[in-house]
Formats: sequence, structure tokens, C-alpha cells
Amino acid sequence: MERKVGRSLGLLLVVLLTVTSFLTGCGQSSGDPDEPAVKELVIAFDRDAEILDTIKTSWFSDGLIYIHDRLISRDYEFNYRPGLAESWETSEDGLVWTFKLKEGVKFHDGTPLKASDVKFTIESIIDPEVASPSASDLAAIEKVVVKDDLTFDIVLKHPFPNLLFILSNTACGIVSEEAYKKYGDEYGVKYVVGTGPYVFKEWIKGDKLVLEKNPDYNWGPDWMENNGKPIIDRIVMRVIPEESTRRMELEAGNVHILRNVPASFVEELAGNEDIEMIRGDATKLCYLAYACDKEPFTDVRVRRAINHAINKDEIVNYLLRGVGQPAYGYLPPALKSEYYDGSKTDSYGYDVEKAKALLKEAGYENGLQLTLSAENTSEFKKLAEVLQSQLKEVGIETTIQLYDSSSYTDMLKEGKQELFIRLYSWPNADILDYFLLSSQFPYPNHSRWLDEKTDELIKKAAGSATWEERAAGYHEVQKYLIEQAVWAPIYIPDSVLAVRKEVKNFKFHPWIPQYNDGFDLGVE
Amino acid sequence: MLRYLIKKLLFMIPIIIGSTIIIFLILHLSPGDPVNMIVGPNVTPEVYENISRSLGLDKPLTTQYFIFLGKLLRGDLGQSILQKRPVLDIVLERFPRTLTIGVFSLLLSFSIAIPMGIIAAVKRKTAADYMSMSFSLVGISMPTFWFGLLLLYFFAYKFRIFPLSGYETWKHYVLPVITVGLTDAAVTARMMRSSMLEVIRQDYIRTARAKGVKEIIVITKHALKNAVLPVITLLGMRIGWIFAGSAVIETVFSIPGIGRLMVDAIFSRDYPIVQGSMLILVISITLGNMLADILYALVDPRIKY
Repeated sequence: MERKVGRSLGLLLVVLLTVTSFLTGCGQSSGDPDEPAVKELVIAFDRDAEILDTIKTSWFSDGLIYIHDRLISRDYEFNYRPGLAESWETSEDGLVWTFKLKEGVKFHDGTPLKASDVKFTIESIIDPEVASPSASDLAAIEKVVVKDDLTFDIVLKHPFPNLLFILSNTACGIVSEEAYKKYGDEYGVKYVVGTGPYVFKEWIKGDKLVLEKNPDYNWGPDWMENNGKPIIDRIVMRVIPEESTRRMELEAGNVHILRNVPASFVEELAGNEDIEMIRGDATKLCYLAYACDKEPFTDVRVRRAINHAINKDEIVNYLLRGVGQPAYGYLPPALKSEYYDGSKTDSYGYDVEKAKALLKEAGYENGLQLTLSAENTSEFKKLAEVLQSQLKEVGIETTIQLYDSSSYTDMLKEGKQELFIRLYSWPNADILDYFLLSSQFPYPNHSRWLDEKTDELIKKAAGSATWEERAAGYHEVQKYLIEQAVWAPIYIPDSVLAVRKEVKNFKFHPWIPQYNDGFDLGVE
Repeated sequence: MLRYLIKKLLFMIPIIIGSTIIIFLILHLSPGDPVNMIVGPNVTPEVYENISRSLGLDKPLTTQYFIFLGKLLRGDLGQSILQKRPVLDIVLERFPRTLTIGVFSLLLSFSIAIPMGIIAAVKRKTAADYMSMSFSLVGISMPTFWFGLLLLYFFAYKFRIFPLSGYETWKHYVLPVITVGLTDAAVTARMMRSSMLEVIRQDYIRTARAKGVKEIIVITKHALKNAVLPVITLLGMRIGWIFAGSAVIETVFSIPGIGRLMVDAIFSRDYPIVQGSMLILVISITLGNMLADILYALVDPRIKY
């Protein structure tokens, strides 16, 4: 019997080994790492995209930036410059924009770019049946009229100076109509076809996205140092969910670039000579919001008291470890012309006594009992705890409630929130339309701000004839929002990239990293 | 034996149905909505309805469940809402990686834990016992992800013996297997020790010793076969535990396995993927338990099925 047992166990082992080695498909190696001539840039991310289809996603993989070109590009100073559109002009009433496409642009499948592809891309996004997450950004567009292969009109429902911004976003990457229709449900999973400097090669979901350079590329924006074919042959975007693993991969030299480096790593990585930390202003804003249509937040004195209660410097210095700046207004200063310069002087400084006095005036001298909701990430959890203790000092007791992101959205849609933490990431003043117009109620207007004057000011600004008038209009909006204390702005995190020294000529771009702009990789 | 196996296999059916009901209910009753993950916030109610209808989410929960069950019987796990691919393909692509870690870490765990438990029991209250039990205590108390990170730091980052992340070669699997195997061995070793201690106090062991049988034979031949039985029972449970913990291991070592697939799908409310991967896990855990039962019968001649 013993021998039988031994044999059976042995047999079992052999079977298990064979099965697993067969199943794991041993030897499925990828690429040719030994070939020295290939310049392969590896970038690590914490999460993967769900689908690589610009029309159908709201989570854009960086890969989509390189696979597609956009009609308009944005230079390092945030100016709108030609992209696939060589030139454009606006009709006198501002309702018709005529664009002329660059000649000789080809999709990765070899077909030429035509005005009809632009029409297809834009009209798919605004088609209610498609239900694109980007539809609201393009809501001002009525239709696209193709005039000839390279010329088309964008016809607007009302003047919309922000059109150039919208067209420069990743969501408006021009897709090939032919390929999109041909591949159907496999588009964005197995096939992605654009005109960009890099060609989609392979995507293993949850693992990596591989892009290869487009050897025909010679239509990059003029302002780029390199507007021809890329110098780097291949870009591999790896998904490494654990941040410590990402960091070790970077330090070991297997990853060249990390985006969104956590504040805790900034000091530690700064000591590594092989790695350069590149910091710039992010177009993000973290703020404490509240349901403005509910007691006690209907009272502007309470809203102001909350603003006074928050010690932003403490949060920036200790929680962010200095990798960020306090926020005073409703937009990040990196937006330059759109940012209201008086934000800081108009805003509410940290003042416990004043906060207490305001609460007393509003009839809450005995304090308040509120819930403070946040998404369950380590960043927001810590922030919630700090805010809890800061609010306590002025007599506002809070209970913290944490949610996963999907439940958080649901909770906000149902309007169960009292105090809640939000962070937005967006490089344009129209984010205020998105969050604060009463037509956006109850979601995404989750601060439940129903105010005629705000609607009026925003609509006036958004419908201005020129960019300058629009910017001035948005300054008015921001000034009014600060006065009304609709949110309590907290901080603007720095955008931090960790770049290995092998990467040459890397330039910081405030919104989109441009890996085609003359970036090189020293191969040793 | 064959009859027993068939009986066991048939028994899997109610288990699977029961677990699908539970998974289904938990998923659909928790807040969050897959349609919202697809469309923008300014979606019109009609479009929302259309998408909801196309995904079959507008039907009553019971109907949805029976549709799911009906498809399941035809071997169709449905289509991923966000990835737009058949769930079975996605799951089968990833499951082997999770299975590899699971199988090899169990083998490692048992090959360490059984000898260690025996030595600790036989040499009770000696240095060997204290050492192995403190190893076990450390193993039980240490969080797996932290242990994994420590191994990564030393063996992949400092000494560059193994790769830091990925899954392409066998080398990528060494550290995850050690991480799971050693932490698992800690639990099994304690079990082995206490079971062995009980057995060596039995009369028949005393008889064997009195007969003059060599100590090594007494332990390996007489005692072990009885002492190992509870450990085999444990095997069935450990399989479940290892699969349940796979999400953590796969995150630390960047392996796109079924654990991470499931966690990501839970966050994005991709119901078909969650259901599909849970189902595969339930089946493998049940099969694992069956394997334990078979081993049981092989080791213990008193058990007849």
C-alpha cells in the first residue's frame, strides 16, 4: 500500500507539473531585448485602460496620445497651435469654423486622412446613441460639413471660443472611419488606427501596451523640435499596480519613466543620481465640497466658516510633503489666462476664531454634526482625517465615510452627501460649467449649487466671441464663486515625473507628455 | 471509488448554483452601475435605457439570473461589459498564471511544513521546536504583501537574482511562489506539529517502540500516516485561501492573473467578469477539496468510498 501511495503521489506531481507548464505557455517571450539597435522606452502606470477607443472611454491611456493626432495641438506654453489642421478661420458670427487639413497625412493602415474621417470622429462623439463620455464637451457642435477631401466646416449651435481646446483633447484624436467600421467591437481591443507618431502593436490587458514608431510620420506640429518620425523605436507602457514595485523597477533601470510619482517617493528618489525628478504645476484641484442645497450649507456664513477652518499650509507641508501648493480659487493657476489673479486676496485665510464667530452668527454656536465622505484611497483617507481634526477645532464634528469610486459616484448621484472630498484634473475653465451649472444638477453638479447668477455668468463667459473676453468672463465667475464659498479649495498637487538619465532631451509638458518631441534614449 | 467521485462531482452542481446566486446577489445589490462606467455623466435617459437594455440590466434580477444560468449551461460566461470580449477567453487567458502560483506554492508549503511539523513535534521543547515554531509565528503574523515586497527588495532589486515584475519566464514565478508557499507553510507546520504530538502519545506508538522498532521507522511509518490526515483536510481549505489571496500577490508582483482581474472588475462593475472569474475559482476550490478527499482515501486504508 505504501508503495502505491508513493507512486500515486509521484504521478499526481508529474501531472500537475505538466498541466501547469502547458497552461502557462512556457517560453512565450516577447520582443527581442538582445538587439541593441532597438530603442525601447518603458513607462510604468498604476492601472490599465479598459478600452483603447477614444470615442468610448473616459479613462485615456497615454498610448492614445501617440497613436492619434488631433486637429489642434497645445504647445509647452498652453497655446493652441496647428495639429492635423493646418489652418482655420471663423465666420463673423462665430458659428462656422472652417478648417484646412494638412496634406499627405496617412493613417497607420496606409489610407489617407480625409475630412470625412474628421466628420466621422466628431459626429460619433456627439451622437446620443453612441453615448460617448466626451459628448458634453462637444455639445456646442451642431454638425460637421465636408467641403472637399481636406476642407471642412464645424457648425456650432452658439459661439464657442473654447472649441480649439476641445479639439486638442485626447478624446478628439482623429480615428479612421474605415478601420473603425471594419473592426467593429474589436476596435479599441485588437485594432486601433490613427495617424500619430506611434503605431499600435500589441495590447495585453493588465500587463502592457506596445507601440512602434511610425516610419512615415512627418506631419508633427511645427512648434515641436522634432516633427518628423520619432527617435525612439518602441514604447512599452507597462501596468505595475503596486507603487513600491514600480519604484524598484525604475531604480533597477527596467522602467524609464514614472508618471504621477507619489509625494512620499519624491524625497527618497531625489537622492538617486540616475533619476531626475521633473516637477511642474498640475492642472488639478483638490477641494472640500458640500451639498449647498441642504442645511446648514444653505447659509453662506457656514460655507465661509468651513473655508476659514482649513489650514491649507499644514496640509501641503505635512500631507503632501511640500509637493504641491495651497489652492485659493476654483481653477489651478497653471491655466494662466483663465485663472483669476485675485483668487488669493479674495479667499478665506486660516482663522479659527473667525470660523467660530461665523458659525455662532449662523446659529450654530453649539457646533455641528456632519458626515465627511471620501474615496477610499490612502491619499483621501489621510486628508479626510486631517480635515476631521481641523474642522473639530471650530466645533464641526465629522464622521468619515469611505467609498470605492463606483459607490462614491452613486452616492453623489443620489444626493446623500454632506461634506465630501473631490479632486479634478482638467486644463480648462469649462470645468466650472461641468460642475456648477444648474443644468448639471444633481450630477456632476454634486455640490448641488443651484444659482441663477452663476448660470448667467458662466453662460456669458462661455459664449464670448473671443478667447480674451471668455477669460475675463471666467474671472468674474471665479470671483463670484469665491465670494459665495461654493467649495473650500484645498490644494493643487505638483505633477511629478521620475525620469531616468538614459532618457535624453525630455521636456515637461503641463498637460500631455510629448514623447515624439526629440526625446531620445541613450542605449548602453 | 468511481461511484464516490461521480457523487462528489454531482454534488458540485448545487454548490456552484448556490455560489452563483450569492455572487449575483452581492454584485447586483451593491451600489454602482456598469452603465455609468460606459457613458458620460450627461447621458440622456433614453440612451441610458438603451445601453442598459442592450446589457440586459433592465430586466428583473431573477430573469437576469436565469439568463446567466442558461448561458452558463451552454458554456457561455457572457461578454465583458467594458472590454467587449468573451469572459471565458479573458478568464482562461489569465487563470493559468494564478494556477501556477497556487499549485507550486502549495507543493512548496507542504514540502516544508510537513518535515518541520514532524521535527517540532518529535523534538518537542528543544531548540528545533522553538525555532520552527517561531518561524511559523512570524509567517502567520507577516502580511503576505509585505513579505512579497521584502523578497522583491532583496532578491530582485538588491541582488538582481530574479526579475522584479512580469510573468513571462519561470523565473518570474519563483518569488511569488516562495511568498505564498512560506506564509502558507507557517500555518500548515503548526497543524502538522499538533497533530503529530497527538499521534505519538497513542498506545500503538508505544507498542511499536516497545517492540524495538527504530525511532525513524516509528515516526515515518507508524505515526506520520495518521498524523498527516488533518493536514490533508487542511489542503482543501488552503486552496481556497491561496486563490482568495491571489489578488494581493498578483498586485505586488505585477502578474495579470485572475485575482487582479476580479478586483479590477469589481471596481469597474464589470459584472460578467466578476461572475466568470468567481465561478472558475469556486470550481477550482471544489475540485481541490475533491483532490484532498482522494488523497485521504489513498493515505488512510480505513476510509472506503
